[in-house]
Amino acid sequence: MWQIAAAGDRALLVTISSVIEPAVLAQVLSLDRALQERRPHGLISTLTAYGSLLCHYDPAVIERDGLAGEIRAFEGRLDASVPTGSVVAVPVRYEGPDLAEVAAKTNLTAAAVLELHAGREYLVYCIGFAPGFTYCGIVDDRLVLPRLASPRTRVPAGSVGIAGSQTGIYAVESPGGWNLIGRTDMRLFDPAADPPARFKPGDRLRFVPVT
Amino acid sequence: MIEVVNPGRWTTIQDRGRPGRERFGIPPGGAADWFAAAVANRLVGNHLDAAVLECTAAGPSLRFDSERVVAVTGAHAGDIETWVPHVMNRGSTLEVGAIGPGLRTYVAVRGGIDVPIVLGSRSFCQRGAFGGGFGRPLARGDRFAAGAMIDGAPLSNAWPDGHRLSIGSPWEVRVLGGPHADAFDRTALPRLTAVACRVSPELDRMGLRLQTPGVHLQADEILTTPVTGGAVQVTPSGEMIVLLADHPTTGGYPVIATVITADLPLLAQARPGDTVRFRQVDPAEADRARRRLEGWLELDT
Repeated sequence: MWQIAAAGDRALLVTISSVIEPAVLAQVLSLDRALQERRPHGLISTLTAYGSLLCHYDPAVIERDGLAGEIRAFEGRLDASVPTGSVVAVPVRYEGPDLAEVAAKTNLTAAAVLELHAGREYLVYCIGFAPGFTYCGIVDDRLVLPRLASPRTRVPAGSVGIAGSQTGIYAVESPGGWNLIGRTDMRLFDPAADPPARFKPGDRLRFVPVT
Repeated sequence: MIEVVNPGRWTTIQDRGRPGRERFGIPPGGAADWFAAAVANRLVGNHLDAAVLECTAAGPSLRFDSERVVAVTGAHAGDIETWVPHVMNRGSTLEVGAIGPGLRTYVAVRGGIDVPIVLGSRSFCQRGAFGGGFGRPLARGDRFAAGAMIDGAPLSNAWPDGHRLSIGSPWEVRVLGGPHADAFDRTALPRLTAVACRVSPELDRMGLRLQTPGVHLQADEILTTPVTGGAVQVTPSGEMIVLLADHPTTGGYPVIATVITADLPLLAQARPGDTVRFRQVDPAEADRARRRLEGWLELDT
């Protein structure tokens, strides 16, 4: 059963599930598409992340209960096939400031960390937090680590990090608490581009080691 | 042209922001005190989408090389008469000066501040370092022109006292529960609304931190979800973060309550050390409060 809760007086948060799973993401993206295609009157914009979707609406046009009802009508009626787009190669120099520490904490060599991280395909679960920040999953169990105890105040754009079962790319300089293992020169956010973010949820990517 | 003689502490160009682009990780942005910015535009006869200056803690000095109608609203500023249109003569300088009570003062110029639109808005986005004309807060020597975002004549009188929000600590801020009410036990929100929260020194346009002596709310991190302005997040250490206009688009802390749209301007004016008291209301009251402010903006004064 989806949970639909008020997020203030102009938005509704739809929670489909609280697990990181391709099938859950597929449901969320399918709901997002359905809402774009058959846009309820008064719906302004939507935003997805992992298992949930936020709807900003104009309360002068639609009441929250009416919108919740229109969203609820999609439950159980969505195509939930997992996205299968082409796989984008993201070149990474594996020389991040936390690489040695990650290797030590995981009882692996730096080369093994690289191999495990670059050795699989990832699904983009969310663009969020900061402009273009790309949340991907799921990393190999052997690389699962908590966030840094104290976050850095400045993480450079292009940094590739891991945290929990996720891996992510910082698209712009920002504070951050992920374990930084590499860096890419790929530009992931450009305010002059359309769309401004290189990736969107449902995209697939692979990290390719470069020197 | 308008020239920045002294930029003040943190002065940025803001309009109504770029809502709808959160899917690219872009904060909605726009004036933190949306109501004061809208009134400033109304006073000078601007369209409500016109860009204004948001001045923080200490305001700028601005030299006008041609005659221009301006209005200053929001937090009290220096010796300037606020909430009323002024004519700046050619060659004269507007000195906004020290700001307070309240934190943010808005300066509208007739026609709006004409800087390029980036991703649908003229607002400065700090996290992305774009927009706001210069991709940064104003600096000494910056020059910009007034635009043509005119909607009517400047108002002839001051904005009525009865149609302003009263500015000063303690701030009483109304909230709706949730959206992550399930992450907390049922006593959590009543306990929070029963105490006075203190605004911490770390504060910016992304959000403000609150200390809540005497109440500790326990909550684990949650799977990253989209968040909205006004969200009251609870960190694992029990600290509270309230999100403002430039907030991250997603978050991993559960949101115990969300500040109603009508009271976001109050939160935008809270200063470090100020007291904030939350009061839980129902959705009908949130709607009434929002419509009341929107109604004030539509009035012919």
